[in-house]
Amino acid sequence: MPNDYLLTVISNIGMISLIALSAYLLLISGEISFGQQAYFGISAYAGAIATTLWGWPLWLALLFGSSLAALAAGFVGLLTLRISGLYFSIATLAFAEMVRLSLFKLTYQIEIDGELIGPNGAEGFGEIRWIFDNDVSVLEYTLLIYGILLLVLFFLVLIERSRLGMIFRMLGQDPLLTRVQGLNPVRYKVTAAILAGFIAGLGGTLYAHSFTYIEPQIFNMMLGVHALAYGLIGGLGTVLGPLIGVAIDIGFLESVRVIQGYRMVVFGGLVALMLIFMPRGIFDEKRVYWLKSIARRWFRA
Amino acid sequence: MLEVKSLSKNFGGVKAVRELDLAVNAGDIIGVIGPNGSGKSTLVNLISGVFPATAGEIIFQGQSLSKLSPHARVKAGVARTFQNIRLFPGLTVWQNLWVARNSAEDTRAEGISYRWFRKSGPVKNEIDAMLEFSGLADKGDELASNLAFGEQRRLELARAAATKPSLLLLDEPAAGMNHDEIRDLDRRIRQLRQQGMTIILIEHVMDLVMGITDRIAVLNFGSKIAEGEPAAIQENKSVQEAYLGQSDDD
Repeated sequence: MPNDYLLTVISNIGMISLIALSAYLLLISGEISFGQQAYFGISAYAGAIATTLWGWPLWLALLFGSSLAALAAGFVGLLTLRISGLYFSIATLAFAEMVRLSLFKLTYQIEIDGELIGPNGAEGFGEIRWIFDNDVSVLEYTLLIYGILLLVLFFLVLIERSRLGMIFRMLGQDPLLTRVQGLNPVRYKVTAAILAGFIAGLGGTLYAHSFTYIEPQIFNMMLGVHALAYGLIGGLGTVLGPLIGVAIDIGFLESVRVIQGYRMVVFGGLVALMLIFMPRGIFDEKRVYWLKSIARRWFRA
Repeated sequence: MLEVKSLSKNFGGVKAVRELDLAVNAGDIIGVIGPNGSGKSTLVNLISGVFPATAGEIIFQGQSLSKLSPHARVKAGVARTFQNIRLFPGLTVWQNLWVARNSAEDTRAEGISYRWFRKSGPVKNEIDAMLEFSGLADKGDELASNLAFGEQRRLELARAAATKPSLLLLDEPAAGMNHDEIRDLDRRIRQLRQQGMTIILIEHVMDLVMGITDRIAVLNFGSKIAEGEPAAIQENKSVQEAYLGQSDDD
């Protein structure tokens, strides 16, 4: 029986990977969003409300929370169509802060078994008991998280191999050239935003049910900054990049006791060093291409 | 097919293009020459819609382009290259050409794997032919950023041609090329014309311009100072003055 602490770390890596992938999808299409935590948070609240207050099954709550997150992301995507660069980053951050501050005001409680349950502003939202009520063990829930993560990865790999994924990367490399190639950026920017919102949303609902307690403060800017940093550390050349970033941060920095108190210092330093020496991460496009061509030669031989 | 009517573009106080008129017939190769800063590249940017004109009209095949966004102009049939090479460095040569092809069947197939297209997709032969045309047949899987300078120039030309334009704007395609490369370029431009493209060629390399164009327009300080056949332009006094300065014994 693997111990529960280790499992918690592993499942945490899985859930945070989802928001990292969400930020990654926007990064490769050339947009730095500081606001993916908003969609993570929206879905965490919506999903938890669905199971805890309305008695929905988890899969339906997942779909509901993520769709709501995708809807919000699409809305923000439409609003921010005409801005890019720093302005886009600030607009997404502003929206995320709006969501977080609204959650402080959100009170929606229902009496269940003689107890008031539901989000209660700054007090947070506890008693998200789906896991206990359904006798799901930590191991089983971890497997569920990784099952969903694998599905998302599979889906992203398909996208990256398709023309759609190529157009996302084109927008990231040279938006003007993309336009003079006859491609309408509006369509692709909004598509990327919606997909990214949905992926962050999956992580959010899973997160709420794993920790059984959420509060607005969890979905602050630092979550979004981390989500961005994971892709930038691991690399923007492959979907595995952000996962490597998460593994380095949560798997190593947070779990190794020696650097416990200095985690943020080490992490911040790492991000700064990466941006100077490897601005597109460890596995950037060139290194991924290089590795792929080596692999191809190796298979042929 | 293209009619530019008293087109002007101001950047703040700088008048980059002033009241320019230019008519282009289908199938022609038109040269646009002029000293640095005379408004040649601005003209290309205005026709391709990179920025809006201050005043004037651009009529392309009977349709005004003014209200169209850059990507809509490509759909209408206007493609361009850039003075400083612009490719997608992170995509392979084949992918650069593939995404440039922007027909309905590709848009519907957006979710389908690139590998399938590379092996047996409906556009495979067409793109392979374009690689052949650019002399890049064996470099299809190379990253665009790994190509040599001359190869990148050739890919850029093919990339613009891949959108199947009826009007192709070439912004100094011969810049930085040696003699042999220019001869190659000359051949390729003629081939594109044979395929039915009308071409506006902006260039400093006079051998190329004089040899290939049907007509030449000369710009100076944003205005057209002369237009005519290459031989006539070579003899034109005001053109010589624009390039060499006024001579003392006039």
